[in-house]
Amino acid sequence: MADNWSFVIAAYGLAAVVLVAYWRFLVRREKELDDASVVRREMRQETGRPEPQAGASRSPSP
Amino acid sequence: MRRLLGGVTLAGLVAGLVMGFGIAPREATQGNVQRIMYLHVPSVWVAYLAFGVVLVASVVYLIRRSDAADQLAHASAEVGVLFTGLTIATGSIWGKPTWGTWWTWDARLTSVSILFVMYLGYLLLRGMIEDRERGARFAAVLGIVAAFNVPLVHFSVYWWRTLHQPPSLMKPGPGTMPAIIIAALLVNFAAFTLLYAYFVTRRARVLGLEAEAEA
Amino acid sequence: MVWKDLLVERRSKETLNALFFFSLLLLFVFQFALGPDRERLAGTLPGLLWLGFILSGLLGLGRTFVVERENDCWEGLLLAPGDKAAIYVGKLAGNLLLMLVVETILLALFGFFFNLDLASVLPALAVVIVLGTVALAAVGTLFAAMTAQVRARELLFPVLLLPVEAPVLLATVKATEAVLLGETLGSVAHWLKLLAAADVVYVAVGVLTFDFVLEA
Repeated sequence: MADNWSFVIAAYGLAAVVLVAYWRFLVRREKELDDASVVRREMRQETGRPEPQAGASRSPSP
Repeated sequence: MRRLLGGVTLAGLVAGLVMGFGIAPREATQGNVQRIMYLHVPSVWVAYLAFGVVLVASVVYLIRRSDAADQLAHASAEVGVLFTGLTIATGSIWGKPTWGTWWTWDARLTSVSILFVMYLGYLLLRGMIEDRERGARFAAVLGIVAAFNVPLVHFSVYWWRTLHQPPSLMKPGPGTMPAIIIAALLVNFAAFTLLYAYFVTRRARVLGLEAEAEA
Repeated sequence: MVWKDLLVERRSKETLNALFFFSLLLLFVFQFALGPDRERLAGTLPGLLWLGFILSGLLGLGRTFVVERENDCWEGLLLAPGDKAAIYVGKLAGNLLLMLVVETILLALFGFFFNLDLASVLPALAVVIVLGTVALAAVGTLFAAMTAQVRARELLFPVLLLPVEAPVLLATVKATEAVLLGETLGSVAHWLKLLAAADVVYVAVGVLTFDFVLEA
């Protein structure tokens, strides 16, 4: 019976593409938000305004 | 901490690939196309795990109103939908050479498809409600309804169709697969579970940052 | 609660007319789409019947809170004292009644147009229909409240309801099929048990979570 390697490669390839794409989305989004919050923090320090309290606790990236 | 998780996940995935391709033998009846199972079965496991976590996080949110629980539910649902989609896709790709058709309404593909649409609806609901608090509350209710629906889906579809192979690891009695294949499957189970944990923690963090940005 | 019941009744009458005509229209569409092949039509009758039930159900259930929304009574609902679950049960009962009436009409029309002998199987059929309708109404009422304020509610409501009701649909169609063929309810006991379980779960979840949905 034919081994159908093309299907195996298709399946693994699809999985790899999807998972890597999602990972890159996460990394990119996290970097955007981290940068944005640094900018916000600096702006707040300049104007002397207090920081708002959000519900979630923010852990610094390791 | 997260780097450690990421590293272990990567190691796990590599180990899974090695097991799936290097160590596990060519299957007797199906040939090498059976190796897709090392993707397909762990994916469906992760999907069920993810939706179970959605249930727990939803209940916790409704009781304690913790933003962290809400973000966990949201992240887990998203990752769950991702792996559910992957389950369907890999199942379909496996099905074409094996059954001769891209799609068939057998028990597993049908139930997983219903699951997919249910939780996609969950994500849609979240996307469509502007008020953050109301969205979290409603999503939690939906998460609970959807989770209770999972066994109903499972049984109804299973009784309706029995084309698909019986669930391999959940069947009582002597296993039908050689131990080495089971070992390869388990390694991939572990790897995918780690990947799930990695994705969910990162995604939840992004959601937390987004919530802060709006505050 | 009496005020609530009267409200339900008033809305029901206008909805009932619309749903009656909708059911009739559905019947025509089924006939045009599947009519030419008489045999195939007969085989799909249980499915068509429930398709008709669920399509009219979608319309009727989706409108559960339309009166509150259009007349700006929504705040009133949220601020109402006492257990919000009572509102859920009230709306559920109203929806159940409405759906059963529409389904009876649709069933009668089916019997007429497709020349079915319903008299002998009516009691068994009634059991299946009631069990299935409770499941539809229970989730439908809950989801209607959740989607009432969403901008694209006509779209989101069916998208949320249909996947959840898939097992119920499977069970009811299978059970209806057996009953229409003259088999006993006992032969489809597993489907009936599934429907009963679904009913219990959905109503319980609805009662327990409605407070969270109608929070101010």
